[in-house]
Amino acid sequence: MGVRKPIGALLAGAAMMLTAAGALAEYPDKTITMVVPYAPGGGGDTFTRAIAEEAKEIFGVNILVENRTGAGATIGVGSVARSAPDGYTIGFVSTSPVVLAPNFSNVPYDPSKDLTYLAQFIVSPHPFMVRADSQWQTFDEVLAWAKANPGKLRWSTAGPRGAPHIATEAAFRKEGVEAVFVPMKGSSEVLAGLLGDTLDAGVISDYAVPMQAGQIRVLAEIGPRPIPGLDVPTYKDKGYPMTPTIFFGLAGPAGLPDAVIAKWNDAMAKIVETERFKETAKRLGGQISFLPHAEFQPTVLDDIASTRKALVDLGMLDKK
Amino acid sequence: MLSQILEGMSLALHVDALLGIVIGVAVGQVLGAIPGLTASMAVALLIPFTFYFDPWVGIPMMLGMFKGSLFGSSMAAILIRTPGAPAAAATVLDGGPLADQGKGGKAMQTALAASVFGDTFSDICLILASGVLAAIAIRFGPGEYVLLIAFSLLTLASLSGKSAWKATVATLLGLVFGAIGLDPMLGTERLTFGQLDLFDGLGLIPVLIGVLAVSEVFMQMGKPLTHLASKTVEFSAKREDNRLSWLEFRGLLPCLTRSSVIGTIVGALPGLGATIAAFLAYNDARNISRTPEKFGKGALEGVAAPEAANNAVSGSNMIPLLAFGIPGDVAAALILGAFLIQGITPGPVAFQANPVPLYAIFTAMLLANAVNFGIGKAFIPLAKRMVAVPKRLLFPGVLIIASAGAYAIRGSLFDVQLTLVSGAVGYAMLRLGFPPVPMLIGFILTPILEKSLRQTVLVVSAADGWLDYVLSRPVLMVLLVLFAAVSVMMLRKRMQFVRQSTGAGDLASDE
Repeated sequence: MGVRKPIGALLAGAAMMLTAAGALAEYPDKTITMVVPYAPGGGGDTFTRAIAEEAKEIFGVNILVENRTGAGATIGVGSVARSAPDGYTIGFVSTSPVVLAPNFSNVPYDPSKDLTYLAQFIVSPHPFMVRADSQWQTFDEVLAWAKANPGKLRWSTAGPRGAPHIATEAAFRKEGVEAVFVPMKGSSEVLAGLLGDTLDAGVISDYAVPMQAGQIRVLAEIGPRPIPGLDVPTYKDKGYPMTPTIFFGLAGPAGLPDAVIAKWNDAMAKIVETERFKETAKRLGGQISFLPHAEFQPTVLDDIASTRKALVDLGMLDKK
Repeated sequence: MLSQILEGMSLALHVDALLGIVIGVAVGQVLGAIPGLTASMAVALLIPFTFYFDPWVGIPMMLGMFKGSLFGSSMAAILIRTPGAPAAAATVLDGGPLADQGKGGKAMQTALAASVFGDTFSDICLILASGVLAAIAIRFGPGEYVLLIAFSLLTLASLSGKSAWKATVATLLGLVFGAIGLDPMLGTERLTFGQLDLFDGLGLIPVLIGVLAVSEVFMQMGKPLTHLASKTVEFSAKREDNRLSWLEFRGLLPCLTRSSVIGTIVGALPGLGATIAAFLAYNDARNISRTPEKFGKGALEGVAAPEAANNAVSGSNMIPLLAFGIPGDVAAALILGAFLIQGITPGPVAFQANPVPLYAIFTAMLLANAVNFGIGKAFIPLAKRMVAVPKRLLFPGVLIIASAGAYAIRGSLFDVQLTLVSGAVGYAMLRLGFPPVPMLIGFILTPILEKSLRQTVLVVSAADGWLDYVLSRPVLMVLLVLFAAVSVMMLRKRMQFVRQSTGAGDLASDE
């Protein structure tokens, strides 16, 4: 910013007062843009559009959903971080661009300083799975086999350096397992690899459909919460160093007015109860888990710090 | 069995379903014809609404939309040399020259006939051999993909004698462009120069539009003004230049069949897609043609082959989806979403218990092909009227459409710059006599080739030696034998060619 001339300062002050007054008067009073950092048709896009439809009715203003894809979702998240903190630009966020990507590449934002985490609405289980006809019935059996046969277990996730990859790698190291990670792109490829005997194990979120079809067997969950209806251990139960929660939420730029945060928290609390939203969650296999800003913000900041520490401890971080 | 088939057919023949198909095809053709707008975008926008639809309106509508857009994108490719969608990129190569000769009408009729032929061929394969094809497709691991792509690149090098080295250089250039972006294994940046925009590699649509459409605009700029003022995209008044006769269609049948087979195979394998199918079919058509020198100058096969292949993908990409619940491309992923909304879970179990939806889908697909043909017939004259403007107006328009199309994909100005730079690269290649097709194919195939190659190395490392790996994969062995046989054949051809051109030996080839 730098030092301004008095006139400029006056003008800026007046403008700020006006916008503050405007925001206080009645947010929102014009079109809100919701940025999705993923392509149309994906999970993040589908959820955001479902939320936008409901929020339109609650707020009584038009909501524009914009897909700004690229660079592992960091371009879209970056554009939200750089937008004016007036509540008219907010975006969809998930674990990867916030908690992981900033450790590995030069992203155009600081996830612990430049964003306001408005609300979490979904946690997405990412189970460790094997083919249904495989020899392993439990996670411990896989570990035992992999220890006895170093460098033989082939496994993959929906993307290298995502949370499922790093958490499972950390788990393997703690167990002294040497396995072969075969990088793949997208959960479809992992599923095809499992069925086509290119892989022995996979860690992806799309487990429900192939599980019902009898194609795969779920053996563990990487996050801290057990998967409802499945009796499998979590990485937290096993005491592994990384047990990431894969979350979906909304965020705005840093410095959002309290009025905006409150409005969105109230709206989201209503939206996650709607039929449309529940249907979307059921279809995409996410668990609805609402956290308001007051809880979501510290949780994310905590995740960022603990992931960073785990990466340093694992020696997986190439830059400080 | 029969009662279930009839029940499925009646679902798709219901008046609402038919309406869904008609609307889907019409909207698909229009969106396909507009560069930068794709059927996938439209379907993604529609998905929230299908929540309120009867499934047998929404799903046929989507199927129609994808089929319609594959044909629609070829109209823009032919008339303004700008592929409406990446899948029609290969259609520009001969569709553009045909339009220049006043045969734009013929080219569009050929594209329509080829699209419907490829679609129908692939749908019939899906209906009759879905189980077999799925069982083979799922056995395609990284090793098999490597061979398949290496095979495709090998046929690229079999171009006409003089420019073999130029074709090779162009292919290598494509490989370099394709390597830009994140390393597929480590996620580290490569050739990005710290530019966040280069993170995901060069966008497919900007590169295709740039190399094919913008380069042509630059070529036109270099021509005398009189040429630009006088000539329009003219349509010859002769009846035979505006239609595809039965005789011509019969002549195209071998090419259409081969291309449809290529498209069906590519579609059944997850992750390749319609663009790759179209280029491979174009390349194959040129390789088997008796008059390969006509390609790029307005060969009908050059329009028929890619159009048959890219539409053939839309049928067979349902094979992995219906058999395993694995979507092979974006279109299939969106259709999967529509199924799930309606509580239908595609996969091995779902349709054994209740095959009725399956028969309904098959019926809807075949109906959509017929509707695609009918609406296409009506759309072609309209499309002709749209481009009846002088070149000096049309080409600046093309530049604007190309830029807008590049921008529309993800709202990034970088993509617009990339389109213009690709145009400059394409222009330079044309001027220096380097063929752009091998470069584009290299560019499209590199990411898949590299990923598969490196996956193969890892998977083999977990096996008991590479021989063990090869012997445990029958599909891989078959591909290896084919690969070796074709290599030998091509080498012999090449030797013959060299002998003939140097006058050594007198091997009169009787081919």
